[in-house]
Amino acid sequence: MSQAIVQVENLNLTYKNLHAVQNISFSVKPGEILAVIGQNGSGKTSTVECIEGLRRPDSGFIQVFGKNPWTHRREVYKEMGVQLQEAEYPAKIKVAELCSLFAGFYERPADWRLLLTQIGLDEKRKCLVSKLSGGEKQRLSILLSLIGRPKLLVLDELTTGLDPEVRQNMWSSFENIRKSGTAIIMVSHYLDEVEALADKILYLEKGKQQFFGTKQAFRSYVKSRISPDEWKDNLSLEKLYLMIAPKTTGLTMEGIL
Amino acid sequence: MKVKGFAVICKIELQLFTRDFFSFFFTLIFPVLMLLLFGGIFGNAPIYAGADVRMMDISVPAYAVMIIGVTGLMSLPLTLSGYKEKKIYKRFDASPVGKKSIMLAQVLVNLIMTLIGILILLIAGKLLYHIQIKGTFLSVCTGMLFSIAAMFSIGFLFTAIGKDLKSTTLLCYLFYFIMLFLSGATMPDMLFPDTIKKFSDFLPMTYAVDLMQGIFAGDSLRLHITKLLILAFVTVICTVIGVVLYRKKDWA
Repeated sequence: MSQAIVQVENLNLTYKNLHAVQNISFSVKPGEILAVIGQNGSGKTSTVECIEGLRRPDSGFIQVFGKNPWTHRREVYKEMGVQLQEAEYPAKIKVAELCSLFAGFYERPADWRLLLTQIGLDEKRKCLVSKLSGGEKQRLSILLSLIGRPKLLVLDELTTGLDPEVRQNMWSSFENIRKSGTAIIMVSHYLDEVEALADKILYLEKGKQQFFGTKQAFRSYVKSRISPDEWKDNLSLEKLYLMIAPKTTGLTMEGIL
Repeated sequence: MKVKGFAVICKIELQLFTRDFFSFFFTLIFPVLMLLLFGGIFGNAPIYAGADVRMMDISVPAYAVMIIGVTGLMSLPLTLSGYKEKKIYKRFDASPVGKKSIMLAQVLVNLIMTLIGILILLIAGKLLYHIQIKGTFLSVCTGMLFSIAAMFSIGFLFTAIGKDLKSTTLLCYLFYFIMLFLSGATMPDMLFPDTIKKFSDFLPMTYAVDLMQGIFAGDSLRLHITKLLILAFVTVICTVIGVVLYRKKDWA
């Protein structure tokens, strides 16, 4: 068995009075894809930002490639690529300049010109990044996360804003990346994406870890949380998730009118 | 590797500086226009009857401080604040270089552009008005260095105090224009009434202008030791407070 490249034990993070992440533990091995799921505000981004060394946890143990990402951020980033949930770039920078800037950070960067072509942004090479559409910016963010040929990829809402065709292409790209041995941690609200890509699932509710394990084990977990009458075999991951996720009310006509 | 990465950052930041109209125009072009304008209005007569020093001899060092003010109090802090607000630093922190390298590159680029701006001004002054620089190369460099350090550290402090780009912009504009008009950087302080003169003694830029004018006129650094100490004190205080405030900021 290969050793975990990400090891998290009893992670806790508090923002003023909000205990955003509570005693979360999980691990990721090379070539594995872990999906972090849960509602908005469940602590997904806070958890991955601790792994990325962008937030200092209050307590708990985190190791990425055997190092603490908060204290050894620069070393960890030599082998880790990230796509942040919200990323902005200098207003007057062009696509090619941003790519060449990021390529300059690594000793053996990927060929960003080739990646630009593959990701469908070759024609935008001389455009200002600020003039790109939401989907194009998202694709560029994904490209930047790959420039350092990472062994660990952390993708926060990787396909948000992408059209269905590009999403499918991204899925096969990430499947290929995983086959090369790169581990991926993906935060996603799209359960079809999780179903297609993930090996393991970390499910959070209000900062608390509800489940960590394989997709198959997630089915058993959902089965254990609902009444036998509700259970059906072969339900999609999305339907399973909706069975256990905290219920929220939609808008009512009464409220609108 | 670190040197290569830093060189790439500096190159891109330099390109971004030249694309920013405000920074480019007010650092490289506007001071020369001021030279032409005030040269046209006041001429280049001796500052008083029989004086060896002429109007443009004291105007050029003052405009040099104006350039330092543009980069130190406007261009650099507004860039830093904009990057902070848009969480651009956060994105660079999620890379092997980190935000400190980007900030350092921005300081370096603004320093380089300041020096280029001053060089253009000096060349224009020499060609158009035959200005005299009587100070030694070392004393001119020392004067510039102390002035640059003080103005850049004030700008840095403003970015640490300002909660967002809007409040930082307000602070920068307010202090820049107050200092610009009341320190003698645009018009000679000998034209000021006494009350304004007293007020201008509280402005760090006043000491930078006086220092540069004195050194350009051939004074030794020893004659201006008080001004050098005041500028050094401003640099240390603003940098220390700025660093302390920055450490308390949530960058993520």
